[in-house]
Amino acid sequence: MNENLFASFTTPMMMGVPIVVLIIIFPSILFPSPNRLINNRLATVQQWLIQLVSKHMLSIHNYKGQTWALMLMSLILFIGSTNLLGLLPHSFTPTTQLSMNLGMAIPLWAGTVVMGFRHKTKASLAHFLPQGTPLPLIPMLVIIETISLFIQPVALAVRLTANITAGHLLIHLIGGATLVLMNINPVTALITFIILILLTILELAVALIQAYVFTLLVSLYLHDNT
Amino acid sequence: MLATGLTLYLLSKEIYVINHETISGAVVLSLAVYGIKKYGPAVAAFADRLMEEELARFESLKGAYIAGCEKGIEDEKKQQWRVEGRHYLFDAKRNNIAMILEANYRERLLTASREVKKKLDYQVALQQLKRSMERDHMINWVEQSVWQSVTAQQEKESIAKCILDLKALSKTAQASL
Repeated sequence: MNENLFASFTTPMMMGVPIVVLIIIFPSILFPSPNRLINNRLATVQQWLIQLVSKHMLSIHNYKGQTWALMLMSLILFIGSTNLLGLLPHSFTPTTQLSMNLGMAIPLWAGTVVMGFRHKTKASLAHFLPQGTPLPLIPMLVIIETISLFIQPVALAVRLTANITAGHLLIHLIGGATLVLMNINPVTALITFIILILLTILELAVALIQAYVFTLLVSLYLHDNT
Repeated sequence: MLATGLTLYLLSKEIYVINHETISGAVVLSLAVYGIKKYGPAVAAFADRLMEEELARFESLKGAYIAGCEKGIEDEKKQQWRVEGRHYLFDAKRNNIAMILEANYRERLLTASREVKKKLDYQVALQQLKRSMERDHMINWVEQSVWQSVTAQQEKESIAKCILDLKALSKTAQASL
């Protein structure tokens, strides 16, 4: 452990040049745009995957909500690909930075809220008061609902950041433990290695699931407000 | 060759440091190799199947178009053949009409002949009736004149002669018995 544990989470600089923009743009070249009628295997599989996901995710929306299809699909692809690429060694995951996740969550959430207020003002305001509350509780309940509304973007961002960062930290810690234990007691090192394998599988799942959850929640907020 | 030498060089000079990321990299690499080896052909076959289905859809569309055009050609040829055979139809129709006209003519001929025969029969019957009436009348007249001409005297004489004849006959009849 020559560097501290949080070295992988600093903004990547190469010879003093921030290449974080390049790292964020990088996953886009892994998704070739289908140019022909019959594409290569990668493009075909991706096309099929995107069709599957979009069909499931947009089936609950009406016409107005389905205009967000491009946004939601690119969101899930971006988060999924950056999370998966972050599992490689010596890589930087943009989604571990709270700044970036807030930058994704707040505009999307604000977009759905503003759209809801513009098009269905009464229904949006009615969301603040659940049905069937007894009269004395109304003021408190309105305050609570307002707080829960404003916490949505923060929750979205922090959820993603915390999950990915925690996963990466665990991988680094257990990897370091395996490294150190190899000299002391190889058997324990083997056990730790197996734990690492399981953890990596978990992280793969978490990477994909977090992307899905993020997009799903945005789509849910959209559904409420269309 | 190059890979081995390069790796050893990097490791010995600690240009490439072995830290926790190496271990995690090893794990990810092994997982990736395992996954690709196990599911690679299946995914490739799946992607190929998707492409084949797409191609087959387009091919079937093209085939359907071609089949439709070919059927159109067949139908056109058949239609041309039908046009060639049209004169049979016209001949048959012409014959039919001729037959109907002929039948009609014969029927009318028969009716006319029957009517004529009826008229002639009437005339014949009329003549026969006239002849029979004349005959009857003549017979009646002859009878009546005979009755009138036979006076009472002649009647007595003829009755007496008849009685004498009868007696003579009866005698000869008895003699023959």
